[in-house]
Order: sequence, then structure tokens, then C-alpha cells
Amino acid sequence: MAPIVLRLRALRTMLAVLLAACVAIPLLLPASASAIPLFNRQTGQNCVACHAGGQFPELTPYGRLFKLTGYTLGGRTVPVSAMGLVSLSKVADRSKSDDPGADFQKDGRPIFATASLFLGGKITDNIGAFTQFTWDPYAITTDSGHYKGQFSADNMDIRYADRLVGDRHDVIFGVSANNNPSVADPWNTAAAWMQYVPVPSPTGSQFIDGASPYPGLAAGGNIAGLGAYAFVDQTVYLEAGDYRTAKGLFSFMRAGLHDADVTKLRGDNPYLRIALNRAWGASTLMIGLTRMNARVYDDPLDTSDPATVHRYRDLALDAQYQYLLDPHAWTAQFVYSRESHAYPAAQAGQAVSFVDAQGNALAPTSASDRTRLLRAKLSYVYQARYGGSASAFDLAGSTNSANQTSGLDPGTLTVTSDPTAAAPSLRVNGNLSGNPGTRGATVEGFWLPWQNLRVGLQYTFYVKFNGARENYDGFGRNARDNDSLFLYAWMAY
Amino acid sequence: MKTSLIIATAAIGVGLLAGCANLERSRDLGNPEVAGHVLAQQACSLCHGARGVSESPNFPILAAQQPAYLTAQLTAFRGHSRQDPQGFEYMWGVTRKLTDKQIEDIAAYYAAQSPVSRRPQGDAPAIEAGRRLFVDGAPDRDIPACSGCHGDRGQGLAAFPRIAGQHADYVTKQLFVFQRTDERPEGAIMKTVAHKLTAADIANAAAFLQSL
Repeated sequence: MAPIVLRLRALRTMLAVLLAACVAIPLLLPASASAIPLFNRQTGQNCVACHAGGQFPELTPYGRLFKLTGYTLGGRTVPVSAMGLVSLSKVADRSKSDDPGADFQKDGRPIFATASLFLGGKITDNIGAFTQFTWDPYAITTDSGHYKGQFSADNMDIRYADRLVGDRHDVIFGVSANNNPSVADPWNTAAAWMQYVPVPSPTGSQFIDGASPYPGLAAGGNIAGLGAYAFVDQTVYLEAGDYRTAKGLFSFMRAGLHDADVTKLRGDNPYLRIALNRAWGASTLMIGLTRMNARVYDDPLDTSDPATVHRYRDLALDAQYQYLLDPHAWTAQFVYSRESHAYPAAQAGQAVSFVDAQGNALAPTSASDRTRLLRAKLSYVYQARYGGSASAFDLAGSTNSANQTSGLDPGTLTVTSDPTAAAPSLRVNGNLSGNPGTRGATVEGFWLPWQNLRVGLQYTFYVKFNGARENYDGFGRNARDNDSLFLYAWMAY
Repeated sequence: MKTSLIIATAAIGVGLLAGCANLERSRDLGNPEVAGHVLAQQACSLCHGARGVSESPNFPILAAQQPAYLTAQLTAFRGHSRQDPQGFEYMWGVTRKLTDKQIEDIAAYYAAQSPVSRRPQGDAPAIEAGRRLFVDGAPDRDIPACSGCHGDRGQGLAAFPRIAGQHADYVTKQLFVFQRTDERPEGAIMKTVAHKLTAADIANAAAFLQSL
């Protein structure tokens, strides 16, 4: 009974916070001013102009062109915006854990989860920027058990763009300096954008964004790249880029991160993108392909040995259909991605400490892994005010004993998280099978009382986690135990 | 020291670049030096098409539109007297710093574009009913013929807009705006005309106009 009472109390507190925010924020704002973030001030337009049904960050056809033309439409304005997220996360089961206090640190409690500062907008007629810096109040847990916040670089996209419009052609072209492959892409099925946002603090819930698989490119963010792109007759989009470690002049693209948290790439890492776009009536359809190869050092603090790089090859097929006709905004999104991961030679073919049920040694670690991910989402927004979505995800891949974080101890033949005890894993994330297979769905409902506040309720279901439906960690934890509720209020100004 | 140097260099560079304008291909809606036709091609075209033929029915087709009508509408958006949601969500911001000259040039640019024929929407009886309303009105219900003001081919005249070939969805929504709201006071005459139109009349007229 006690957990239910606590849960109700937490939910009541959260609702009270949301209600207070809904009442207080309009009163605090000047009556004559539209509460508008950076791009809104620059263009003077409502959020719905660029974001489908006001459902940021998903872009409308107009928003895509605004982005591709380098964020330069409109007039210069104060180049600053901010956003904040208040949320509450709740996982289905907290009992199957060695240390619930550590595994579910802020579970069931309303928290100020994150805040971002945006700098950018129009700089010249051809140059504009979108840069985001994010504050995570729970980024670091100190030895005394307290939290320490971290303010660091998030998405960054600085562009030079031009557009040639003639009797027979319409070509938008440009160059983007950015820190995340595909962040420059205007479609929201691109790897950097195909996710539910906002995301909870990992401290609040590790089973919503952290574990729910997204088609992210292996190289991830906080690297530095230059890409050239062209959008021809609003039909063919091409982008080619090259990424390297963010250092020297580009070190601001990883600002705030500790060196140990920075992705270190070896040499040049190519990124390619092609997409075909067609618009008819209120509909638009895009089908695209993305390819990236990346060589990532195993240890960010030691890049002296080229033999310690992981080699990733990502290939993704994505599609997006939008139907936008006031007051309706429908979006269907689909991504199918494949990734191959070749380990450094020294990590392949290694014996592991776990054994099978008969006490025999497990297969040595693999030289490479393959995964494939399917993700689909359908969303609808009415009057840019009430919306909802449903999505499904299915990650499958090769089995590798190197991925086992729990298994049978050779001495006792009982399950242990790590027989060497060198790096005991938290067992809620344990993987007994060595397989990454994860399958589930997310549903969400949200409300935009006004254009820069979104209140949402989201639920993620798991039918498979770390390769199994039941007892995926060997300690009795089932996939459904990770089902998670996420309640949030997301504000931007 | 090195970081400070980089930041200082970048700041100076941005400052110098910020002074540069590309007047031939600018999307700056706050610079009176940018010609109207450049803004039409670089900014307005994002919704209305480079030749004034929008693909999405959310945005009206402007090709061959009457320049006096366009000038009046852009001025009404700029002054916030036109308040229909589809308008103010986009157009208040776009027009807020346009000069009278830029507005006239934008209107002239779209007026000079070639009109297009759209794919008919709706079944043949609906289009025929719309045609009768357009040509004859409904005298028994005191509804005048559309063609009386908008021309026998819907081409418009001065402040009366071209309605031929317009998106049916746009026409429908605007007729409801005239009928049910005071969000377009400069079009008050249409409030009188639309007052007695039924939802079916509006759908039929819109279907016919799109097919013109």
C-alpha cells in the first residue's frame, strides 16, 4: 500500500507543479509580448509555421526550408532562447534490484530535469546558426552521494547557405559545421532527430531514453564535422560530410564535457545522405538513405594506438509522410537501420569468465557484432493544441559473450553480475544472453496550452529487453518490469 | 590566450560578415533595401511557391492575383487588421517591417506570374452546383453571383481578388471566416454575401473555383 500512496503523492505534487506553472507563467509574461523563442522572434511567426502542429522539433515543409536556408529568413534579433523541463518518471518495478536507491535514483519524484540555452539565428544574409547548450543537474554523482550539474555543448549547426531561384530551377545549397552527424538534416527521421523529445533525465529514468533504442549513428554527438548539402527543386537532397575529433578551433563543439566523455575519432569519418522528397496537396513524403563509417577510439584518454579503434558502419533507410492541413497534423515516420561493429583486435576472441549451465566455458568474444533496428511512429495533433502518438521499436542483433554483464559463476554455477568483481554491473541493466534484442512500444498524449509550453504523459512498454522477455539479467528481472511512465512540462522562451 | 585569440578573431569575423548583405538573394525581411521580387523568391516562396503556385492548400495561390488586392492584404497583415489564424500565424511576422514599396513590388511580382489550372476537387454535381452559384447566385436566397464582382472567369478586379484556380480548402476556410467572424474587416462586403451560404454552398463553390 505504501508505494501506491507514495506514487499518488508524487503524482499529486507533479500535477500541482504543472498547474502552478500553467497559471503563473502567463501572469509573469508581459501582456503585450508574444512568448517567443529565438526563431520565433526572428521571423515573427508562430511555432506552428516551422513545427508540425506545434510539435517541436518536428519540422513542417516551411521549417525544413527555413533550416536549409541557414536560419537566415527574417531579421536579426536577440540571439538567445532557453528551455526547461520539469518531469516525473516512474518505472514499473523497483523491487528487483540490488540497490534500488542507486538504480532508480529519482524515480517517482518530480524533478527539474534539464535546461537548455540556445544561441543562434540569422547572422548575415547567408550565415545562421542553431547551437544548444544543455544543463543536466544530475550529471555527476559525487562520492558523498550528492549530485553535481554539468553545462555542456549539445546540438550545434552553423551554416552558410544560399538559394538560386530561376525560371526552371530552385537550388538551395550550403555548408554546415556541426557536432552531430545528421543534425543538419531537415527531416525528423534522421538519426539525430528520430526520438521522442523531451527525454527524461537518465537519473529519473534509465528505461525511457537511455534504453529505448534509437537509430543513432555510432559516432554520436560531441564530434566536429563539415558537410556540404544541396536541395534541388525541393525534390532531391544530398549531403556529404566528414567528421573528426572536436579539437582546436572546433573544440567549442564539445565544450563543457570532460575529456573522458568526449568521442575520439581516428582520422576522417565520412557521412553521406540522399533523400527524395515529394509534395502534393497537404501531403509530403520523403524517402532517404544515410551512410556513415566511423572509427572510434576505445579509450578517449588514450588515442596513441590505432589498433584500439572500434569500426562502425551504419546504413539507414528512413521515410516520413506528413499531412498538414489546419487543424490537422498527421505524421508517419519509419526507420530501418543496420550497424556493424568491428572490435579492436585485442578484444576479439577473448575468453570470458562466465560459464554455461554445465560449467563449460562460453564461446570467446566475437570479432564483430551486427544489429538492426526498426522504429516506426505515428502522431497526430489537433489545432496545434492536443496531440498524441504511438510508436514501436525492435532492436535485434548478434549474440556475443562480450556483451554479457551477468552469467554463471564458474565456481558456484550461480548467476553473478561479474565474477571478477572488477566492474560489477547494476543488475537492472544486466544482460544474461549476450544479445541486445529489445522490443517495445511508446504511447504519448500531450497538450499545448499555449505555443511554448507542452505538457505530456508518455508510457513505454517492453516485451523484450537485453535479449529476453523474462529473466533477462539472470536475477529474475523481466522486460515488463522496465515499463516506464513519464510525465513532463516542457517550456521554451 | 589561444582561446581568447580564437574568440576575438571569430567575433571580428562575425562582425564583419554581419555588415555584409546579399541584396540579390536576401531573405532579410527587415532590410528596406531588399527588392520586393527578391523577397518573393527567397522568402514568400517557401509557402506560396517561387511562381506563386503553392502546393499546400494551407497557403493561397498568388499567381496572377490582382495587385491591388495583394497590396491591401499585405498592408492589412502588417497593421494587424486582418486577423484570421492562418494569416496571423505566418503573415504578421513576415510583413511587420515591409515598406510600402516592398509590398507593392511583391504584389506586382505575383500579379505577373502565369495563372494555373488546378485538378478539380469534388464530384461533377458539386462542381456544377458551384458553377451555378458562381454564374447566377441564388436570387431566391438573396445570394449574389460570385462573378458579379470577381469577374466572369473568376479573374478578379482591383480589390476583388482572383478566385479562379484557388485551393478549395483555402476558399472554404476563408468563406467561413467571412461568414462567422470579423477577422477580415476589410472584406466586410463578403460578410453580407456569405451570410446566407450553407456549408454545401461553400463546398460546391470552392470545388468549382478550384477547377476554373
